[in-house]
Amino acid sequence: MLQPRLLAPFRALERSLTSIRSTHSLSQPQSVLRTLSASTFPKPQTPSLPRTLLPFSQVRYASHASQGTANRHSRDPAGKRLGAKRSGGEYVVPGCIIFRQRGSLWFPGENCGMGRDHTIYATQAGYVRYYLDPEKHSKRRFIGVVFDKEEQLPHPRNAPNRRKLNMTTVPMQERVEPQSDLTASVDADGVRVEDVEAVKAVFGPQLRPGYMYREANWEIGRSAERAGIFSMGYDRRDRWTAWRKRQQRAERAAQMKSLKGKKKSGKK
Amino acid sequence: MVHCERASKPLLQCLRGSYSRGVAGVQLQTRAFQSTANVREAETEAPSQPFHKAPDPALVTSPRLERRLLRQGTTPIGSRRRRAALQTTDSIPFEQLPYQCFQEARKVLLADREEKLKEIETMQQRIARQQALPVEEAGGAKAQKSRVTAMQLHLERLKVLADINDPSVKRRFEDNEGDMSKPIYRFLADRKWREYRRKILVQRITQMNVVPDVLPHCDPVVETKLYFGKRQIQAGEFVEAKQSTVAPKLDVQMFEGGEKLVTIAVVDSDVPNVEQDSFDYKTHFLAVNVPISATSTKVDLSQLLEDSQVVLPWLPPVAQKGSPYHRLSVFIMEQKDSQPLDFAAVKQKETSRDNTLLRTLQTRYHLKAIGAHLFRTQWDATTLEVMKELGFNGADVELRRKRVDPLPYKRRNPSSFR
Repeated sequence: MLQPRLLAPFRALERSLTSIRSTHSLSQPQSVLRTLSASTFPKPQTPSLPRTLLPFSQVRYASHASQGTANRHSRDPAGKRLGAKRSGGEYVVPGCIIFRQRGSLWFPGENCGMGRDHTIYATQAGYVRYYLDPEKHSKRRFIGVVFDKEEQLPHPRNAPNRRKLNMTTVPMQERVEPQSDLTASVDADGVRVEDVEAVKAVFGPQLRPGYMYREANWEIGRSAERAGIFSMGYDRRDRWTAWRKRQQRAERAAQMKSLKGKKKSGKK
Repeated sequence: MVHCERASKPLLQCLRGSYSRGVAGVQLQTRAFQSTANVREAETEAPSQPFHKAPDPALVTSPRLERRLLRQGTTPIGSRRRRAALQTTDSIPFEQLPYQCFQEARKVLLADREEKLKEIETMQQRIARQQALPVEEAGGAKAQKSRVTAMQLHLERLKVLADINDPSVKRRFEDNEGDMSKPIYRFLADRKWREYRRKILVQRITQMNVVPDVLPHCDPVVETKLYFGKRQIQAGEFVEAKQSTVAPKLDVQMFEGGEKLVTIAVVDSDVPNVEQDSFDYKTHFLAVNVPISATSTKVDLSQLLEDSQVVLPWLPPVAQKGSPYHRLSVFIMEQKDSQPLDFAAVKQKETSRDNTLLRTLQTRYHLKAIGAHLFRTQWDATTLEVMKELGFNGADVELRRKRVDPLPYKRRNPSSFR
């Protein structure tokens, strides 16, 4: 189909041609030959030149287009940008993508991992190597990362693995368990309830929402621990305890039910 | 009724009927062969206590009683299904089961056994003759030695073949009553080990890279079990620092005859070295000249002799906070020709625990790894306490991952983007 910008010059051309045609029509009766020819042949309704241009402005119907063009590039999807992102010997850092692929054309070798879509990425900083390891697998191609620039892969079968610690020492830190807190304070304006950060939280009773002078909820929750009271953990295989508890609950329910009945009967 | 009891009931009913009719007389004659039957006889004679008070390990079927027995230290014998079957069967020796086909088959097996015994005898005579031969006549000492070795191997094979079809041997083996000094039980135990436990062990030591990291190669031929206190540690299991403060106990089961002298080493291959940005090795235990055999399997690392065996005493393993887990690999290494090493020389030479590679020791003393085991340690709640006891320097620091700088952004081949 012709696009609008292509049509524009044609339209301009057509306009110039119509001006020529009008001059022709003025001089027409003077020529005999022209009249003869006009009487013998049917008169052209439209000027001849625009007719030659017509196919460009015509519509192509679906039946025509569906037969397809010779080179159908429109059907091809966009490229997925697969392939090597880092070549052999290039420096990579952990997480750096080395190869994108559909299926496992390449396998992760030393210090490399394979992602969800078979992408090969580095797990250590180093230099990329593309290699074969017939002792490991006869047909697979591997991508590995080595620490030294001159190092070659694969390593001998029984050599100890070359590894790096990649760690530093820091002074050990005690873990502070954050416990945020709600407190209330009474001003001239009225009572203000605040959310106190864990770091600023104060132990012991203080004024809290609802005009209560008490400990924080989390402190109350841990009071049993402070008092040294421990309950037995739940063991799902301990059917004896489970049965006893169930029995107690049933007894209590029965008791409550009987009381309920008595009350009713008493009322009646 | 327990499931297994229900399953074995129809068979038992059938058996009971036939026994009471057919083999009552025979039973009396052959009672001496039966072990479980005797127990039952004694029980029926004096049922002083009800069964649940004193459960019999050969007959117990309920899981609760089994557990009680286990807690007392006795293992129930055989499968639960078999124990259920024994509860209701009369005591008939296995050899006299009243099936014609069975008895015919037994005859064939017995004939085969006779044949094998005869072959053993001839083979023994041939070996004796070969050994008595002068070296010149035998065609050289080397040829004679190789011939004798081949014949001895064949003899061992025959010894196994003579007994392998015996149902009572199979039964005794399955009841863990096999005598490991006999070749047939060693053969059966080896086969059983290789079927599953050895495969797991080999998988663990290869997957956790113990084999290329600590030693270049290891083909385990002895079964090794490791205990901290009473608890058995599976290969590759994590062990708490508190648990591993005392030296472990080993159970090294050999499947060959004779006695061997072995070197036992426990090596940590993951000691972090922050300065060099790598990992070091540390020897946590080293003992030489430890005798093992098929019948004496227990080796308590803390009970070995200080003055003739222990080169480096047990050092409790600890892992610094944040460091990757430590693999503690235990290697049983056979000494060359089972000859004792010179303890004083070894003790003098191997003084440093740090960075002595087991590979070096292997070549230095001509050792060969015949057994392996593995456990791991990592930082846990008890580690700090153990570190303080040990005076470990580095207890107040933790390891953190070093940040790797990202690569600078580089526009790749910009002309193609235009």
